[in-house]
Amino acid sequence: MEYVSPEGLRLDGRRPLEMRQIKAEIGAVSKADGSAVFEMGNTKVIAAVYGPREVQNRSQQLSDQALVRCEYSMANFSTGDRMRKPKGDRRSTEISLVIRQTMEACILTHLMPRSQIDIFVQVLQADGGTRSACINAATLALADAGIPMRDLVTSCSAGYLNSTPLLDLNYVEDSAGGPDVTVGILPKLDKVTLLQMDAKLPLDTFENVMQLAIEGCKAVANYIREVLLENTKQLECRRGV
Amino acid sequence: MVGLSIGEKHFVQGGIAQDLRSDGRKRLTYRPISVETGNIPQANGSARVKMGATDVIASVKAELGKPSPFQPDKGKVSIYVDCSPTAAPMFEGRGGDELSAELSAALQRCLLGGKSGAGGGIDLSSLSIVEGKVCWDLYIDGLVVSSDGNLLDALGAAIKAALSNTGIPKVNVAASASFDGQPEVDVSDEEFLQFDTFGVPVVVTLTKVGRHYIVDATSEEESQMSSAISVSINRQGRICGLTKRGGAGLDPSIILDMISVAKHVSEQLMNKLDSEIFAAEACEEES
Repeated sequence: MEYVSPEGLRLDGRRPLEMRQIKAEIGAVSKADGSAVFEMGNTKVIAAVYGPREVQNRSQQLSDQALVRCEYSMANFSTGDRMRKPKGDRRSTEISLVIRQTMEACILTHLMPRSQIDIFVQVLQADGGTRSACINAATLALADAGIPMRDLVTSCSAGYLNSTPLLDLNYVEDSAGGPDVTVGILPKLDKVTLLQMDAKLPLDTFENVMQLAIEGCKAVANYIREVLLENTKQLECRRGV
Repeated sequence: MVGLSIGEKHFVQGGIAQDLRSDGRKRLTYRPISVETGNIPQANGSARVKMGATDVIASVKAELGKPSPFQPDKGKVSIYVDCSPTAAPMFEGRGGDELSAELSAALQRCLLGGKSGAGGGIDLSSLSIVEGKVCWDLYIDGLVVSSDGNLLDALGAAIKAALSNTGIPKVNVAASASFDGQPEVDVSDEEFLQFDTFGVPVVVTLTKVGRHYIVDATSEEESQMSSAISVSINRQGRICGLTKRGGAGLDPSIILDMISVAKHVSEQLMNKLDSEIFAAEACEEES
């Protein structure tokens, strides 16, 4: 199948190096300590953060740092065909683990010993790149909850189809079977915290694809920073400073 | 769980007794309701309803299926509710399953009628395509995104809004039945039939706190309840379903009294919802 037309357009009309439209909103769940909605094209996720709070299960308590937990779940209606059993399958367990490890790496856990931080991400619409969207949403929610972090973590994916590197794959491109590189970075410290790839790629092509994904992450980081700045301005305005 | 101190408990209970609740409402006043329709593009119909801090999404998906042998001329409808852990950390893992099952069962009772499907708010015979062979299966999925009490009313309202947003594809049945008796159907992806939601009831939950009962309880108020009655009432003012929740027993005369109050409240809620749904649909068409 042809994923990039001879004119250089992808199936959804994007250029190979173009990202889908991103949209973020802070404060979607009023009961949570921090929450955010993050949209990448048709992919839409909600993240909610509870904590830092007392550890629920005493045996998991860590005396020198905070316990970070994460749960990823998909709504029944999030995919094209209705899902029957959304909870507790291997895929969501793996993604929960990935998100937890990525976020744990940037939270200053040693500042909050003997406490627990819960991150819950809920996918409302899945159209490829849910992993990246969840990480971006979780970053915003953690920032909204006021949890101390080293830096914002942002994530973006890139792939390689029809011998062209493509940024931010959607579901159709993702299921084409080509390589899919998901990268998470700390944009200010310029460090990679998450890197996943399936399928094989020549080493020099991989470098290009990964560089493309990193550029995507940086673009997301700029947007997230804008959203946070705007949110802080509004908070300031409400306080009447 | 809501942790309230003794003082806070007295405050909530005292406020209800004096008809002035902690957020300034009267006993029979709802929080502001906002409705958004068509926000899940993959579904046939969807709606998001917010009542104060309670936030739920309902989606309707239609799939072709086979009618049950007992009711060959009717389609099937099923309702599932899922409590997302974003709403409360206690819904993590399997923690939300119990509440999800309770809500699904209550909604099925309130909206779908008995086993025969008679008396329910949804007209099942409109879902039949070829009698005994093909029908539409409607899957109604509710998702609790944020929970601040009164989930049942919010889900009921969201399902009503999602159903009025639902377009079911028009189906052309080929005249000649194929060899194995399964008729060939052609699902149109351009023409949609609007679903008739005139008869879909609204759910009104009356929560009893102390000697009084209130509508649209927040989770703080729900933690103080002795029992609650959810009544689903349609446009003609008829009762379509009833569920009693909570442990304490109720005097039969009080139940009858509560039902008549619920009926009165349901008229206001129905009108409010209708105008909100109408506004949401208009807003969606504009964009």
